[in-house]
Amino acid sequence: MTLTTPEAVESEPTKPQQARRSAKSSGGLGRYILVRFLLIFPTVFILVTLVFFLMRVIGNPITASVGGRLTPDQLQERLHAAGYDRPVFVQYLEYLGGIVRGDFGMTSTDNRPITEVIVTYGGATAELVFYALIVALVLGIPLGMLAAYVRDKWPDVLFRALAILTYATPVFFGGLLLKLVFSVWLGVLPLGDRASTRVSLVLDNIPGATGIYLIDALRTGNGQIIGDVLQHAVLPALTLGLLTAGIFLRLVRANMIGSLGSEYVDAARSRGVREARLVRTHAFRPALVPIITVMGLQIAMLLGGSVLTETTFGWRGLGFELNQYLSARDFVAVQGIVAMLAVIVAVTNFIVDVVAALIDPRVRF
Amino acid sequence: MASVTKWGKRGIALGAGAAATALVLTGCASSSVSDTALNGMSIGTTDKVTSLDPAGSYDNGSFAVQNQVFPFLMNTPVGSPDVEPDIAESAEFTNDTTYEVTLKEGLQFANGNDLTSSDVKFSFDRELKINNENGPQSLLANLKSIDTPDETTVVFNLDHADQTWPQVLSSPAGPIVDEEVFSADELTPAADIVKGKAFAGQYEITSYKENDTIQYKANPKYDGLLGKAKTDEVTASYYTKETDLKLAVQQGDVDVAYRSLTPTDISDLRKDDSVKVYDGPGGEIRYLVFNFNTQPFGASQSDKDEAKALAVRQAVADVVDRAKIAEDVYNNTYSPLYSMVPDGLTGAAKPFQELYGDGDGGPDVDKAKQTLSEAGVTGKVQLDIQYAPDHYGSTSDDEYAELKTQLENSGLFTVNIQSTVYTTYAVERTKDAYPVYQLGWFPDFSDADNYLSPFFTKDNFVQNHYDDPEIQDLISEEQQESDADARAALIEQAQEREATQISTLPLLQGKSVAVASKDVKGLTLDSSYKFRYATLSK
Repeated sequence: MTLTTPEAVESEPTKPQQARRSAKSSGGLGRYILVRFLLIFPTVFILVTLVFFLMRVIGNPITASVGGRLTPDQLQERLHAAGYDRPVFVQYLEYLGGIVRGDFGMTSTDNRPITEVIVTYGGATAELVFYALIVALVLGIPLGMLAAYVRDKWPDVLFRALAILTYATPVFFGGLLLKLVFSVWLGVLPLGDRASTRVSLVLDNIPGATGIYLIDALRTGNGQIIGDVLQHAVLPALTLGLLTAGIFLRLVRANMIGSLGSEYVDAARSRGVREARLVRTHAFRPALVPIITVMGLQIAMLLGGSVLTETTFGWRGLGFELNQYLSARDFVAVQGIVAMLAVIVAVTNFIVDVVAALIDPRVRF
Repeated sequence: MASVTKWGKRGIALGAGAAATALVLTGCASSSVSDTALNGMSIGTTDKVTSLDPAGSYDNGSFAVQNQVFPFLMNTPVGSPDVEPDIAESAEFTNDTTYEVTLKEGLQFANGNDLTSSDVKFSFDRELKINNENGPQSLLANLKSIDTPDETTVVFNLDHADQTWPQVLSSPAGPIVDEEVFSADELTPAADIVKGKAFAGQYEITSYKENDTIQYKANPKYDGLLGKAKTDEVTASYYTKETDLKLAVQQGDVDVAYRSLTPTDISDLRKDDSVKVYDGPGGEIRYLVFNFNTQPFGASQSDKDEAKALAVRQAVADVVDRAKIAEDVYNNTYSPLYSMVPDGLTGAAKPFQELYGDGDGGPDVDKAKQTLSEAGVTGKVQLDIQYAPDHYGSTSDDEYAELKTQLENSGLFTVNIQSTVYTTYAVERTKDAYPVYQLGWFPDFSDADNYLSPFFTKDNFVQNHYDDPEIQDLISEEQQESDADARAALIEQAQEREATQISTLPLLQGKSVAVASKDVKGLTLDSSYKFRYATLSK
């Protein structure tokens, strides 16, 4: 017998209502994607503006570089030739004009196009972020699942404490500590760099080098080279990855606990589904949705953390170069790199937002 | 559901496989790659290279590279601060303002191009034309024009007489470049220089990754003063942290570590039997500047008094214990400096040692007290001293804390020390913001004039309102004096004159320090202040 109530009859959509709802839904998704895309521009613009003005507060690259060798008049002459003595707002408008034309300028200290710096060192940063993400996912998700399953028992307490510890520890401190233990005291892992000097020379000189050492090493097919690259990646990957692993652990745990306590899981349990299958299939998938949403933010965090990680380990990527240019007061270089990173983060967040909206329609509204 | 389970299993299997593979490969890794073994000498440094193109750099890191690969008309032989013809057959002043250089016959760049007078003229003309903001063209301020009457003759026409011109040719402004590879009106990218093999120094660069790794190979075509390189291949690795460099030389990852190790690391390495620490004279000096307008009793002060102002400067000179600063703060990686001209250079004297303190370099508080008393200075003198920790190293904090302690312990001074970031400091000090302040100096070339002209001539680098015609005349005379002994005497007089007036108070001279494994030979640190790879061997 089918239970039919007036409410049930009224709540069942008619075909025109279904069509209207469908149109509304796709229009909503389209509007959502458009809004998210348009938000990229003010985000990048605000960041570039902030960096532009902040950098001018800390000084100029010419004084930092040759100020100790030139008389004040000679220094002033060079500042004038470079245009650094013009009103800041004039310099700002000129810079914005360049960005619109796709010209990010040349670094002041070593006369390289910003785009060349991005291309040369971007691969190294992407590689480090990839390793860190692997570490974060491999450690964070399984441990989060386990912590949820053994909730409030001592392993759960331990995992939560570790998560807070990894999340709260400053990246550079964690890196230094790992270096001290594994490179200095135990001597089992390298101090820094992306590869040993010998291997770097090989990888930099192979035809069509990508700049991503793992890919180039795999192309050589030489086990020693691959091993050398991976060995150098361990500590930087752990340093940066543990930061995010802690976040993933807590997030997965919280969401898994929510899922495990839900009615449909109870129903599955009452139907005799085994616990392991219950956790893996019924509780885990819903817990993934927030992870995907958060992952966009974590990319930004990983890129930010990569500056300190790369500096700590001499990992010559964009973060490392950003630190070097910052020390040299090369504001053109810093602006360019930050602008490029802002675009990458904004676009990544956009993609993540779209994926999240596709997975979970509730996200759109 | 079935697909989720399948995904979960695949995910776990994939992760486990990747982790296992990584562990296995990591376990198999060794630090050497048999088919790419590094030959020759490996050198580690924390220097930074701004540009391989000489027109685009004026810093120690870039010059260190350029010294190995570009030829110079004049250069300092090993062990001497004085220049001699390098790729030149002869070089001399034909009159006060004309300097004629004759090149050796048959010179070539590593790429086979002939090195002629045209390349020499091109090298200097482009520096002036490019006028890069980081370039060394200020050293060519005295150059009016260059003539090249034939392929081996170069005639430099100067604006005014200057005996240091041969030294300028050995400085960061002096590298000779290949006009067929380098651009005449803009900086040439390092990749193009390396690809074009535009080198005629003792080495050529075979692989270049800026501030990462540079591979050098001995250049058989070099035909100059310094002779052939003793080691065929050299690899320079650039480290970002001094501690990493220290560990690298200790663990044998590099054969030689040069610039810069911290005083603590050097002290530690001296105790390590696996390495040897080499000390040599360094060109860097550290000194105090007195702004003659704003210092106590200065010309713009309400209680201005020239005699009292001088007495204050003299009292500071009497009280300062340089040896204590050098030992306690710098672990003797700096040595006491008693003149603006550092030890080792021709004409260097030590007037501050003789005139102040106990006459032997140590402090004498009673003498300082008497000096102030005789000038009518009563009560404690307020000294505001400024320094820049980011430019001169974080040890400046300790250095100036020690200086403050010494001055205050004498009972004659109340000292207020402040630090300012360098880019602000460099501007503010010329606006009379600091009565007494820290400065340092790296020489452009190893000649005493490079420690006098920049500080005491009319339009000088210091800009502290010190204007003494007598010392300016002495400097002008020594620049024009061709007789070496007479010139040395004038240089000494200039130092003595300055010491009586104390526009600047010399404090410390940096030592050059290198650390090498025990099997390295030929490592030389001399008053040329150049570190040459070509003398090294194993």
